[in-house]
Amino acid sequence: MRNQSKYLPFITILLAVYYLVWAIYLNKAGYSSQEALFYIEKSKIIIDGLGTRLRVMGLTAPIIPFYISFIFSPINTLLAPVIASAICTALLFYIIARPLLKRVRGNFYLFLLLIIFIFHPGILYAACSGKSIALVLIFFFLFFFNLLKFYRSNTTFHVSIASISLVMLIFCDYKFIWLSLFFIPLVLSITIESLNLSEKESIFRLFLSFNNPSLRRKLINKTFALYIILFILPLACVISYKLLNLTHANDLNYSEQSPYATWTVLSEKLSFDQLSTSFVYQLPENSLLISARIIMFCPLILIAVYLFKNSTYQILTLLTPFAFVEFLHIKYEKVFLLHEYYLIFLVLSLLCILYKAQTIKDQTTLKWVVGIFTLVQLFTGYIFLKDSSISEEQNFATILFDHSADKELNENVDMANYLNHLPAGSHVLVDDAIAFPIVAHADSIQKLTLPYQSVFLSAIEAPDKYDNYILLATEKNEVTGFTQLNNRYIPFIKKVNSGLRIHRVYETDNWILYNIFY
Amino acid sequence: MSLRLLIILTFIETKTSMSIPELLINDGFLTKQDWEKINNFSARTGLSFIKIALDFGYISRKNYERSLTNAGYKFQEIREQSFDEEILSKIDLKFADQHVAMPLRIENNKVITIMTDPSDQLFIDFIRFTYDLEPEIIIASDLEIVWLSNKLLGDKYVKSAVYELFKRDPSSSAYTTFSSGQLVFLFILFGIVVIGLVLYFKNTSIIINVIISFFFLIAILFKLFLALVGSRFELHQAVTRDDLKKLKEDDLPIYTILLPVYKEDKLIKKLIWNLQAIDYPREKLDIKLLIEEDDDKTLNAVRNLDFPAIFEVIVVPFHMPKTKPKACNYGLHFARGKYLTIYDAEDIPDIDQLKKVVSMFNKLPSNYICIQSALNYYNRNENFLTRMFTLEYSYWFDYLLPGLDTLDIPIPLGGTSNHFKLENLIELGAWDPFNVTEDADLGVRAYAKGYKIAVVNSTTYEEANNEPINWIRQRSRWIKGYMQTYLVHMRNPVALWKKLGWRGFLGFSFFIGATPLTFLIYPFLLAIFISYVVFDLSSIRTLFPDWVLFMSIFNLMVGNILMIYINMMAVFKRRFYELILFSIANPIYWLMHSIAAFKGLYQLIVKPFYWEKTEHGLSKVTSPTNIIK
Repeated sequence: MRNQSKYLPFITILLAVYYLVWAIYLNKAGYSSQEALFYIEKSKIIIDGLGTRLRVMGLTAPIIPFYISFIFSPINTLLAPVIASAICTALLFYIIARPLLKRVRGNFYLFLLLIIFIFHPGILYAACSGKSIALVLIFFFLFFFNLLKFYRSNTTFHVSIASISLVMLIFCDYKFIWLSLFFIPLVLSITIESLNLSEKESIFRLFLSFNNPSLRRKLINKTFALYIILFILPLACVISYKLLNLTHANDLNYSEQSPYATWTVLSEKLSFDQLSTSFVYQLPENSLLISARIIMFCPLILIAVYLFKNSTYQILTLLTPFAFVEFLHIKYEKVFLLHEYYLIFLVLSLLCILYKAQTIKDQTTLKWVVGIFTLVQLFTGYIFLKDSSISEEQNFATILFDHSADKELNENVDMANYLNHLPAGSHVLVDDAIAFPIVAHADSIQKLTLPYQSVFLSAIEAPDKYDNYILLATEKNEVTGFTQLNNRYIPFIKKVNSGLRIHRVYETDNWILYNIFY
Repeated sequence: MSLRLLIILTFIETKTSMSIPELLINDGFLTKQDWEKINNFSARTGLSFIKIALDFGYISRKNYERSLTNAGYKFQEIREQSFDEEILSKIDLKFADQHVAMPLRIENNKVITIMTDPSDQLFIDFIRFTYDLEPEIIIASDLEIVWLSNKLLGDKYVKSAVYELFKRDPSSSAYTTFSSGQLVFLFILFGIVVIGLVLYFKNTSIIINVIISFFFLIAILFKLFLALVGSRFELHQAVTRDDLKKLKEDDLPIYTILLPVYKEDKLIKKLIWNLQAIDYPREKLDIKLLIEEDDDKTLNAVRNLDFPAIFEVIVVPFHMPKTKPKACNYGLHFARGKYLTIYDAEDIPDIDQLKKVVSMFNKLPSNYICIQSALNYYNRNENFLTRMFTLEYSYWFDYLLPGLDTLDIPIPLGGTSNHFKLENLIELGAWDPFNVTEDADLGVRAYAKGYKIAVVNSTTYEEANNEPINWIRQRSRWIKGYMQTYLVHMRNPVALWKKLGWRGFLGFSFFIGATPLTFLIYPFLLAIFISYVVFDLSSIRTLFPDWVLFMSIFNLMVGNILMIYINMMAVFKRRFYELILFSIANPIYWLMHSIAAFKGLYQLIVKPFYWEKTEHGLSKVTSPTNIIK
């Protein structure tokens, strides 16, 4: 075991290199996620932008993935998000493999883990897409791992680390705040279990503790204390962050709801449009079947549940993410479930196996079942990614398996290239609420007049005074409604300033570039 | 002469011809077995019969006086007795103390000798051989003799208690508060800041703000890290019940307990009950109650006890500075134990604490010279202040100190319940009487000499300060002491870094140095925060650019949240769940710290050695008896 532990950092580095090679290859082949482009654009603003960049610096969300990506910007701004995601995925492997080696004897499970991390399309997507999935998976793993440890050790350390992991998780993906909702009954169950009672059955323990004043006080105090220690930190951090939103953007929900602060606004809008305007009304993610889809995607979770069959609140803990995902589907009803929310179950099942596998007597059968399920999982992972309702995920699968380029990205790159070749001293009015993929590929951000700058509003009112070019979204552009700089802008500005002389200089399906004459 | 008077006189004559032990047995205050035990003990230790009888719980002082008075002896007041320096120069305090007797002068060709036990033949022989004259004995209470002997003979000991460390290792003594180098550094820094503010007000303000706000955040992150490390081992039992079972009573070493008190007359009875509950062989306990020369209140409280005491009184002669470490250093001269600990008068240590420490010392390598027990409060639910204090102490002793211990960073010892190996304590130069947090200073000094300190799973319950002014007084002394300690050890930062290593150095800086600084700057940060966020003060916006404000606010918010969280964690180990919400009130509690910090800073400059006395015994909570966890 010591030898394996010694080689683990080496394996992790090799894995990181493997992911990096894939990521760079896919990037060159024309794949880029919206999230990655968003981070690239914001990083460029912070590094090269002119004007107040504070809001971009502090309120770009999700903040942790953005900062992690930003750290790699000095290496290569365009590749920074994918470098970050590749390294974070390798780190995830290390974080899972280390306790695995400590707890489980033999190489079999490490080998399976490596298979999953090398071949599972979902993991490859997490590693090569430049998205925050890997970070989410890391903190999701740490959160549940420390909770399970807490159940056993009852130490403040594990519950505190779980709480800190939850904070990080929320700041990697804000939707995980809803996970805490499902821990409310769970914490009560944990407290009841931890009371020193002779009765073993949970329901009778509850009955006993509610009917005895001393026990009731103890139960309430302990439950409340556990709630606090687990949730006060995320709650306080969210409130503080919202307060900062309020003081710096005059909007409590700026970082969640503004397309300037987060990429999810546009992606959710696209999902919504796709679902509401689709001619064939299809619901591939029927809410009743979400859990079934998860089990299809990750059959290993069944083994995880089996491993904890005798522990009530561990089982409840495992079921919490199911409730969470079902809840997300209800709350964000017209939004497709991202691949990330399937992958959390893969990580959870790995956690359960590393935590409990050693307690099973018949290791041979267990290894067979885990091995088979892992292979099935590789296949279902491929199917789920290929048939995903989210175009970004589909694109990834297409490029990964068919090596064909993303058309929309090419279009953005073409427009950015055109902007890069504009004469020196030219200024272009761009709204990066929707044009961030173009800005991300622009060579010089100083050439662009963007909304983070105080002159942007004046430039919209009188473009001829500030800029030589205006980039407008065409009617075909799916997110044209999110910007003022769309096809309705020209009639509006002509009305305000009849002397304005403009003409088209470059046009793609989604974008038109106008030149302003003086 | 009537028959009745004749009978009485015969009775008295019979009694006076008896030795004192026989008299006490005759009066039923002592058994023969006790006498035998005392004699054996005396043979082993060289202590006189009366010293053992009165200080090891065999007989109460009142009964002793009663017995002797009935026998015709007359106890006299001796404080005003005249004395001859030359006569005094021939006797050492320790010998006088062992026999509770001393010669005063020569009068009518006799040595006027004060004694508590007039039948102490050894001492009478000493007088005869030393002065070549017969003694004339004046009977006096042992406490009076102790008071007078320490006052008249204790000069060299008290001087040693005050100046020993200063003479031996002046660089470690807080006798000089600011070294020349430190003063130059501080004035240059001050000058740069003033010049900066005059010439480039805005930029200098920004730089100061950024440095302070990051310093604040890093200090708190460091504390969180320590608390997490400490909480990881919260279930670890350094000494288990099985370890205790393995200890043999006969093998236990002599254990000295120092009890420095000042005007603690209300607590003396409580103290005795707590001490009597300690699970340790009585004869192997060497308990010293250190009373200041001018503290008649406490001395009278001891005199009025109507049950046997199990401690020896030592009167500390007057000498400035009048501090607890000076008293402890003085008591150290009389300590007989292999190990030594300090308790405050109101302390209630777990009854098995001494045994746990012995067991742990047996297990640890020889370079571990001190073991710190956890401190907590028995009156935690008394009021807001005691609750906050309990939260703070729980975090400090249950998480922070174990965290420091795990990371091998110098542990600032708590005020009491730190158990030393006596020989190493003396080698270190004992406590610095000029330092008002001598305990924290000693911890750092021990580390600098390559020694280690461990933390044991045993608690001493104290009385939490429940009165705000009293609290601020106590806290101002602690914070002043931290400043003193930091200044003392930072006289040569490079040398300190070499001694402690980078981890120890950083730990020391962030723990001892950062603590007062954090409290000093906290109100300013809070004021900026409130002015900016709550009152939307526009001039702050013009002074600081957005990014500086953003960072400062972020740091302050995260810092406060984390610190509150750390305090919340603290109640978990102790299962004080009802206190968890009080952690939210920490920002108010820290403001009280800030008041104390400014008071401490002022005192550091104007009266650095002044010992702000904490009033004890204010709590109305009846203390529980010693607890084994």
